[in-house]
Amino acid sequence: MISRRALELATATLTGVFGAAVVISSIDNGIGWSTAGVDAGTFPFLTGLIVLVGSLWNFARGWLQSRHVAVSSSDLRRVIALFAPAVVFVGAIPLIGVYLASGCYMLGTLALLHRLSLQRSLLIATATPLALYLVFERMFQVSLPHGALGDVIGF
Amino acid sequence: MDNIESLLHGFTIAVTLPHLALMLIGVLLGILVGVLPGLGAPNGVSLLLPLTFGMQPVSAIILLSSMYWGALFGGSVTSILFNIPGEPSSVATTFDGYPMARDGRATTALATAFGSAAFGALVGVGLITFLASWVAQVALAFGPPEYFAVYFLAFASFVGMGGAPPIKTVVSLAAGFAIAAIGIDTVSGSVRLTMGIDELVKGVSFVVAVMGLFGIGELLLAVEEEFHAKAASSAIDWREVFRTLFGLPRYGWALLRSAAIGCWMGITPGGPTAASFMSYGIAKRFSARKASFGRGEAEGIIAPETADHAAGTSALLPMLSLGIPGSATAAVMMGGLMIWGLNPGPMLFIEQKDFVWGLIASMYVGNIVAVVLVLLTVPIFAALMRIPFFITAPLIFIICTVGAYSVSNSYLDVLLMLGFGIVGYLFKKLSYPLAPLVLAIVIGDKAEDAFRQAMLMSKGSLAIFFSNALVATLVLAGIALLLLPLVLQILHVRTTKPVLD
Repeated sequence: MISRRALELATATLTGVFGAAVVISSIDNGIGWSTAGVDAGTFPFLTGLIVLVGSLWNFARGWLQSRHVAVSSSDLRRVIALFAPAVVFVGAIPLIGVYLASGCYMLGTLALLHRLSLQRSLLIATATPLALYLVFERMFQVSLPHGALGDVIGF
Repeated sequence: MDNIESLLHGFTIAVTLPHLALMLIGVLLGILVGVLPGLGAPNGVSLLLPLTFGMQPVSAIILLSSMYWGALFGGSVTSILFNIPGEPSSVATTFDGYPMARDGRATTALATAFGSAAFGALVGVGLITFLASWVAQVALAFGPPEYFAVYFLAFASFVGMGGAPPIKTVVSLAAGFAIAAIGIDTVSGSVRLTMGIDELVKGVSFVVAVMGLFGIGELLLAVEEEFHAKAASSAIDWREVFRTLFGLPRYGWALLRSAAIGCWMGITPGGPTAASFMSYGIAKRFSARKASFGRGEAEGIIAPETADHAAGTSALLPMLSLGIPGSATAAVMMGGLMIWGLNPGPMLFIEQKDFVWGLIASMYVGNIVAVVLVLLTVPIFAALMRIPFFITAPLIFIICTVGAYSVSNSYLDVLLMLGFGIVGYLFKKLSYPLAPLVLAIVIGDKAEDAFRQAMLMSKGSLAIFFSNALVATLVLAGIALLLLPLVLQILHVRTTKPVLD
């Protein structure tokens, strides 16, 4: 269960850290005015500063927020049920390539997570990479990552 | 009458077999992404973008803009039949569209929506036909200070009129500018903000950002809200369609007012979502049948639909003539223009006449194609909605992943997309607007260049932004818009707060 307040504070912290990183990083590029005109770091420095100050404001506003529930635990479970396998899928791409990874991902979420019949799950899990292959590799000649496994088996 | 002549020339480009075929494909794909929750116009258009790199620019823009029209129509289908807005901009259509469909008048609701949408779109295109080249002509005289002032005004109007909390809008905007600055600085050649990741030298593509912010973010939000598709009947009675369409002129005043609101919100970057909410609110306030709003009132469908489509089309006016997109989807298309080697802005009307007028002519044809196609395909797409979301959700995720990867064959982009996805989810949840973020990523470099060139002209003095009447007016109007929320707060005026797309 996550309260609206916690969510506001987390987001403001996230943007604030980003703003601070931008500010620090752009000081290295030089800020201000030199013979060549406005230095490279000036513009990002200003935007970073605005993000930082705005985030502090949002943090303070968030602090005063009510603690009512923004994401209930069943909501959260559903979000994680989508996102966690998706992260595993993305993580698997460099190893086994997009095609195998997407097939496994579909099979996993459909058959294991949502208890769709094995037959249907298998059908969708083979159709997905096949469709990707035909559209990207064949029709538009865009090569998708084949992964380390692809290198080994020479695909 | 130069415009009419150019437009007729445009029709000879747009109405050719290959281009009509592209419109057909674009509209159908558009309806598809419009219908599917979690896929919307901005990321639908970005998904298609890498596939257009080999095309002629005019063909590519016809494909992408047709997809946009299709998505706008598709969003209304699900709003009316399922009470699920397929697009953020069709949320307001659910208020009266779904009750009407539930009462067994689905055909009337759909025909009312499509008819008024088409009207709104045509007003928008008409405006572009007659105003765009004139605006471009005025803009030809612009120097860097004027350009920066126009950018400033555009961004200030997000803060002042967007409807989202102003400080959140400012954070969203400034973060977009910072993201745009990542990579090699075009002026000095120095590397900026890569935070030690060498691959970031190439910068962060707006396509990757859109895919994460809109695609993954919306997907997460959609599973969280866990909807059940309870459909109203989707059978189409053609006689009822024509009866409704011919009855529309009775609502002439509502149509005109909504179209005007839509055009205004499209040209100033308020965007279609804000336009449809505002139009619905105004229609309700001034209607003689106020009490029947929310229970299937025709005017409650006409107002948001007309404004939505008028805003969607007229958002292309500032994109073409000034190089400032009026909505998130227009921003994506403008990014496409730059990738195809065109320079959005007034010179387009001189150097790329065929492109500009081909596009404008295709907007007339494309919207008519869209109305016909969407009416014909309603039952098919309604059936698609009955596929359980747990099957479509991972599919959409895979499509976004592949789309992000194919921008520049980079795995880092996929990781960035995941990051943007989380940001998109948080931002949407907490009503940070996403459109300014995307807009800033697309035109951040141009705004920065304009600023730096202006500074070079004035040798570092900000007084250049007040050096002539035009630039001073623009800057002052921008400052006024920035201060508007503050003034309103002081006056304790409470307004409805639609969330931007």
